[in-house]
Amino acid sequence: MGSILVVAEIQNGAIREASYELASVAQSLAGTSGREVKSLVMGSGIGALAEEFSKKGGGSVLVADDAALENYNVDAANAAVRAAVEAASADLILLSNTPSGWDVAPRLAAGLDAGFVGDCFKIDFDGGQFGFHRRVFNGKLDAHISASEGTVVATVQPGATPPFEGTTDGSTSDLSVSFEGVRAKFVETKKSDSTGVDLSKADIIVSGGRGVGAPEKFAEVIQPLADALGGAMGASRPVVDAGWLPHHYQVGSSGQVVQPKLYIAAGISGAIQHLVGMKSSNYIIAINKDPDAPIFEVANLGVVADLFDVVPALTEAVNGAKG
Amino acid sequence: MKIMVCLKQVPHQDARLDIDSAGTWIQESNIKFEINTYDTYALEEALRAKDEGECEVVVVSIGPDRTTQALRTALGMGADRAVHIKDEEADGSDALGLAKLLAAVAKEESPDTIFTGFMSDDDNFAAVPPMLAELVGLPHTTAAVKVVRGDSSLTVDRETEGGSYEVVELPLPCLVSVQTGINQVRYASLKGIMAAKKKPLDVKSVADLGLSGSVGAGAAKVKIEKIAPPPKGDTAELLEGSTDEVVAGLVTKIKELGLL
Repeated sequence: MGSILVVAEIQNGAIREASYELASVAQSLAGTSGREVKSLVMGSGIGALAEEFSKKGGGSVLVADDAALENYNVDAANAAVRAAVEAASADLILLSNTPSGWDVAPRLAAGLDAGFVGDCFKIDFDGGQFGFHRRVFNGKLDAHISASEGTVVATVQPGATPPFEGTTDGSTSDLSVSFEGVRAKFVETKKSDSTGVDLSKADIIVSGGRGVGAPEKFAEVIQPLADALGGAMGASRPVVDAGWLPHHYQVGSSGQVVQPKLYIAAGISGAIQHLVGMKSSNYIIAINKDPDAPIFEVANLGVVADLFDVVPALTEAVNGAKG
Repeated sequence: MKIMVCLKQVPHQDARLDIDSAGTWIQESNIKFEINTYDTYALEEALRAKDEGECEVVVVSIGPDRTTQALRTALGMGADRAVHIKDEEADGSDALGLAKLLAAVAKEESPDTIFTGFMSDDDNFAAVPPMLAELVGLPHTTAAVKVVRGDSSLTVDRETEGGSYEVVELPLPCLVSVQTGINQVRYASLKGIMAAKKKPLDVKSVADLGLSGSVGAGAAKVKIEKIAPPPKGDTAELLEGSTDEVVAGLVTKIKELGLL
């Protein structure tokens, strides 16, 4: 029986929370499946971080410390994980479904001729096999996936699991990795131009999605409600992709993450990338024609109706209430 | 220059999602299909390269008869040639199986660049592109929002988190999966649609690609045991009634929150 290998990720000089969530998943599965948990911490000058991780859920940590790993590089990361898989005799390899994870993990799986399941919100062990649970159709349906015998690579959805709390008897050992096959080259990191409203400062946000239907409807229907409430307007990704609004309106994992006192989502289905951007809002109201829209899972209050019936009427009522 | 674009035909974004009798996918009869949104952006990226210089764009898709329509649409938008991998033996393939089929075509075509969509609208797996790159032995990146072509490399901005990007340089030949919004996708012109009917569309079987026994349900390492609507656990309290009643309820709640 192989071990479970947790591939940790360093961000801004620390092991990121998603990696502690992975440790949580791994430690739980170790219990139910009778396997050992090992981890990989990779980067440059990361010895202390590896020590810390070994004591906080990582277990036996393999340390790949090399200049080649200083900045994220898919080839270097893949080489390090391959070396760790062999050293750990791992047959379940867990990464977080972060931009690094989704870049490396499938390639890793193909190279190992392994099964692959991405973006799991839950992994369990039942009847002698692992069960992988994830959403399909942009969050609308749940899928339970099984793997045949052999090695499996899985990525876990960040934020879906509480991070590991507690201590583990850890240890660290150096992992030697060859970076001969590295072809991709890191150039730099950039931030998008943040002109426009900083949504993170707004107390109230009214966001529109694909359901708003056309660019001019944002000015006609969504902005007036935002104005009436003294709030800011936001949008989901498809709206920005279509060029209806500039990127700085985008709420979501690749836009702005917001926590206003009130978030109103109109015509937004609720794909995970959007939910990640707003689910920590203090209070969420969702308006959508589709009763099965995933947005209703995070909303406090929902209205299953046509936003073109409700939003203008709400705007009028709010303006009336203000006198 | 040759660019290969992988397309997947998926249920239309607004299609009804009824679970099939096996409980392992949705019912596909009586719904409309379209090219996966992410793949339309990949195709557009290839067509822009073609606008700028001599370039052959080959579109490839795996699927049943209905997939021909998706390929003809792509040809109508400006692709030069299509390859349709059509074979029941491929049914039930996992992502690795699909990647093996595409890799076999890629090895025959030897493109300078392979563009794919970041993930598919239906299973949202995002698995095939990096797997395909590994099997063909190409460098790759994912979730590209900008691609700049150099003489022997591509410089790609890939999307990370919170409005940040990583810039990576990949030597050619390479594979790039693209994010939605990387460009604005063109419509097929009437002239393009007419011309598409005469463009080459080759059909390949699993055996043609030398992969008998290596793909399909029998070879898959992962499979869907069950698909179901998410459990209706803690969902929103629903306000019901006429528009006036609903609006009154919303105003009351907003006042309760101290925001009005």
